[in-house]
Amino acid sequence: MNISLRWLADYVDPGLPPDEVAERLTMAGLEVEEIVTTGPALDGVVVGEVLDVRPHPDADRLQVCDVQLAEGAESVQIVCGAPNVAAGQRVPVATVGTELMLPARDGSGLEPVTIKKGKIRGQVSMGMICAEDELGLGESHDGILVLDAGAPVGVPLADWLRQRAEMPGDTVLDIAITPNRPDATSHVGVARDLAALTGAELVLPEVSVPTVGGDTADQVTVQIEDPEGCPRYAAMIVRGVQVGPSPDWMQDRLRAVGVRPVNNVVDVTNYVLHEIGQPLHAFDLDQIAQSTIIVRASRPGETVETLDDQERKLPEGTLLICDAERPVAVAGVMGAANSEVSDATTDVLIESAAFDPARVRRASKALGLQTDASYRFERGVDPTRQPWAAARAAALLAELAGGEVVPGLVDEVPNPYQPRTVSVRPSRVARVLGAEVPADEITRLLQAIGFDVEGDRGSALEAFAEAALQGTVAAAVEEAGDAGLTVTVPPFRLDVEREVDVIEEVARLWGFDRLPTPASTPVPLVPAGDTPSARLLDRVRQRLAALGFREIATNSLVPTPTAETFADAAWTGIEAPPIETLNPISQEMATLRPSLLTGLVAVASYNQARGAGALRLFEAGHVYRRSADASETVAGYHEHTSLVLGMSGTAERASWDGDARSTDVYDLKGVVLDVLADLGIDDVQETPRPAPDGLTAYALDLHAGGTRLGAIGRLADSIADDAELQAELFVAELDWDAVAELAGRDQPPAYQPISRFPTVERDLALVVPQGQPAGPLLDTIRQSGQPLLQDVRLFDLYRGDGLPDGTQSLAFTLRFGADKTLRDKEVDGRVRRIVKALEAQHGATLRS
Amino acid sequence: MSLDAQIAAVQAEIDDAPISDAEAAEAFRVRFLGRKSGAITDLFSQLGTAPPDQRRDLGQRLNALKQSAQGRLDAGLAALATETTSGATDLDLTLPGRVPAPVERGSLHVLSQTLADIQDIFRSFGFAVARGPEIEDDWHNFSALNFPANHPARDMQDTFFLEPPPPDGRGVVLRTHTSPVQVRVLEQTEPPVRVIAPGRVFRNEAISYKSYCLFHQVEGLVVDEGVSFADLKALLQAFARAFFGASDGPAREARMRFRPSFFPFTEPSAEVDVWWADDALPGGGRWMEILGSGMVDPNVLTNVGVDPERFTGFAFGMGVERMAMLRHGIDDIRLLYENDVRFLKQF
Repeated sequence: MNISLRWLADYVDPGLPPDEVAERLTMAGLEVEEIVTTGPALDGVVVGEVLDVRPHPDADRLQVCDVQLAEGAESVQIVCGAPNVAAGQRVPVATVGTELMLPARDGSGLEPVTIKKGKIRGQVSMGMICAEDELGLGESHDGILVLDAGAPVGVPLADWLRQRAEMPGDTVLDIAITPNRPDATSHVGVARDLAALTGAELVLPEVSVPTVGGDTADQVTVQIEDPEGCPRYAAMIVRGVQVGPSPDWMQDRLRAVGVRPVNNVVDVTNYVLHEIGQPLHAFDLDQIAQSTIIVRASRPGETVETLDDQERKLPEGTLLICDAERPVAVAGVMGAANSEVSDATTDVLIESAAFDPARVRRASKALGLQTDASYRFERGVDPTRQPWAAARAAALLAELAGGEVVPGLVDEVPNPYQPRTVSVRPSRVARVLGAEVPADEITRLLQAIGFDVEGDRGSALEAFAEAALQGTVAAAVEEAGDAGLTVTVPPFRLDVEREVDVIEEVARLWGFDRLPTPASTPVPLVPAGDTPSARLLDRVRQRLAALGFREIATNSLVPTPTAETFADAAWTGIEAPPIETLNPISQEMATLRPSLLTGLVAVASYNQARGAGALRLFEAGHVYRRSADASETVAGYHEHTSLVLGMSGTAERASWDGDARSTDVYDLKGVVLDVLADLGIDDVQETPRPAPDGLTAYALDLHAGGTRLGAIGRLADSIADDAELQAELFVAELDWDAVAELAGRDQPPAYQPISRFPTVERDLALVVPQGQPAGPLLDTIRQSGQPLLQDVRLFDLYRGDGLPDGTQSLAFTLRFGADKTLRDKEVDGRVRRIVKALEAQHGATLRS
Repeated sequence: MSLDAQIAAVQAEIDDAPISDAEAAEAFRVRFLGRKSGAITDLFSQLGTAPPDQRRDLGQRLNALKQSAQGRLDAGLAALATETTSGATDLDLTLPGRVPAPVERGSLHVLSQTLADIQDIFRSFGFAVARGPEIEDDWHNFSALNFPANHPARDMQDTFFLEPPPPDGRGVVLRTHTSPVQVRVLEQTEPPVRVIAPGRVFRNEAISYKSYCLFHQVEGLVVDEGVSFADLKALLQAFARAFFGASDGPAREARMRFRPSFFPFTEPSAEVDVWWADDALPGGGRWMEILGSGMVDPNVLTNVGVDPERFTGFAFGMGVERMAMLRHGIDDIRLLYENDVRFLKQF
């Protein structure tokens, strides 16, 4: 909301520069977001005194002046062309370096000109004595501007003009009004706070409010059929107005706060709105059928053509202002075109009403129309201010539009305002704020912003008596002192309802910066931990970074088709639709991601396109699905933390001791199983899905303890092509909630004594049919090797010469150990059993 | 045969030669590109015998020939590579994986690092960490936090609503702040409570250099007997000193100010600014808003069954992006979500 400081000065004059005013308001809760100054800057222009004037030796029309630019300083010489310059004058001098807006040589308006030290026809000139128009202070170019003889030499001209209120232009504060400050949505409202903060006096315009009835009551009828929606409706009539432009001063003020001037009638209503915060509406009385105003709820299917020439369908129950025949305004939002003030209007009906905030807000939302009026009604207007505002507007109309105010006033008040009182305990103020604010200080602060405060003696005595009966006199005194203040809330503060609301007012006026900052604070004796899931995730993050992975952070919102593609059940393990937003910003961000793969693929593509040849990426974040599971935190919706990894491009760079190698799926598999093993999950079941399936060309599903953990694979070509990937992308995604649940189950590991006995290693080379996967062979070796086998590793895979067609050879290293020194015989026996099992289960033979 | 004719013949041969498997590819390479006896190498060696005025032209044609051969070979090898992997049938996925050494030093996202620092500081002040869902119901995101229905306070946060549209208008939303975790914690825990709640939040705002459709917050909540606004001030000042003061950054002194503001769930409410020294600015710096805070509104405590006469509390919330951007001088929030490796590796 914009506040003009010129306008504000009508109501309060704190005698402070604009930035100080902004600072005070900001620190009291009216945050000034921007200060905009209009009008000439006048930087570098000072008041000078002309000491001597003599003719220029080489130019008839020029004169050479000695001008003093600071008290006690030496004078400087300035050449001047104006005929009216004379010794003894105080004049505005643009000093060297000043930038002025001067008429362009080509006559195309103004252009910036910097005043330089120079010679004019051989005479040194150290500045420029200025005319009104050269400073942007007026139109006159009849010689230089001669200032008042009292103007102090050397002070900036702007300061002098401001002091005399002759500085043109304005300073406008853009204030961010919080929803709890309905009172501050006007100049008077801001002036009230400023007065309270500075001790300056608040002056309201003199308005003579007519008594209810009179001719007005004979000439217009107001019926409120919806008293819930309209607790008060005041009306006045001004006849014989001449619609035309409003005067410059009013137009300037309206423009300064961002309101476009329309005509004097509309401008007056807007002016009063920004003055006092009460929205008004002006009807052309001739267009109001039977001069009757009816306030009622809209009926099904009703429409109205608003002032902006839009035909609008009204939701049922919208509060309407109607005449005897038809709607003439959407209450509190916008008037209708059928009754608007036009050039032909002579008689004006002024509406000044209070409407229910929620009703106005609903209408404003439903119609998609936020107006200066609805903004204020939504927040709640002062329910006692309607007659004042109507009378203020009527008087301004009479003055500016030549109308005649019809005596009297219509003031329908079906719901009279009841002043609200709140009891405030100074001890509670101290408890909430952590500082003792004396009761008389509380009283003073509250009174300054219009609250009535009474020390409640009656209840103090009562509390004293009761406490004295039950305990000590000292306790009774304390109790009585705490009986509190009875605070009557002013009608413009509808937001203040409770003791704590009043405490907030005290705090903001007292100043948050004055509250103490204790050096220590009590801390509850409960462990300050994090969830196991988050703790383990931090560990994995660190581990992945150490393995050369980069963490990325991507948008949770993705295009709907992308979400549908990536909601692949084979990849995510979840068979449910993704979640769409009802009000997306754009189609690019319309649906919640069902998988972190969406972001990973996009980031890989982005970086490949920018020359990144080796990518290792990961992200941890939430993924989301619709859900019918009754155990969800928010019914109907599932979300869990997911961990995605991606690798592409170079796995090893060429170096002096090795060749370059490209990433393959085993690199990513190694990383994923390493991460799981680090969390204590080392018994992972692997289920290959070798054929293209949804998102992957091939994949490996991972389970542990009967729980699906996730999958590893190579991104399908179709997905990679759509994303314009330049290299194969290997991806893995883990359901982090499932992983953390498994890992978190572990008790701290119990110590195992380290065996003092040596272990024995044996190598085993097998021939198996090609296509026999290694995993089951490893499983068989592990099972049949019990209990002596401690470890098994695949160290060679061979196909080709020396082997029968259609076979391959796999070679393993087996390590045996026990709580004693193993004899060869025992180890040999165990190896034979292993080979036997391999023969029986997989048709494997020992390679000779 | 003239060199010219030979070039044409070799070109034809190149175009026809099959590259059907690895052996054929190798044969192709040796036949045309081999350094000792390759056909093109041989042609190059004859260039010296050609008439001087034709050498330039012939040289260019030979280079083109060589490129053509290399191109065919590369395309053939690429096709072979695709054939061997896209079918995937001959890959044994049960073979053990390997853990490759890093190619580059890895990195944590600057948001993670910033959040970790913030968490560490609050953990040192005795705060536990609580978490909540990003999809929230109206009660936790708004109603329990004292946002009345049809109140302008609801406009303070542009909200994403989720399908399907609810019958009563109180829709399920993407949480607009981490404050619902306050409600969830107090619903489950008796005071004293001292927690922070970090997490992702969403705002339906146009994306620009200073706002994104989501960001991360750290919420703080303290509820106990005798907790006051002064305690809140002291805590946040200690935090700012720890967070900003630890670096050699311009805000070493961590000057702060508390400005009255409004949040439905706190009363009184304050926004907190830190002084950001910058010699280029008039006044030598400016105030930068870093967080919102206040005393927990009694209505919130009542809503979760805590007696507001006995217990008081304070809450605060800060944006992780803002803290990271301030600390590292990042001037466009979108950089954080673009994930350009050249950006990520700087942290």
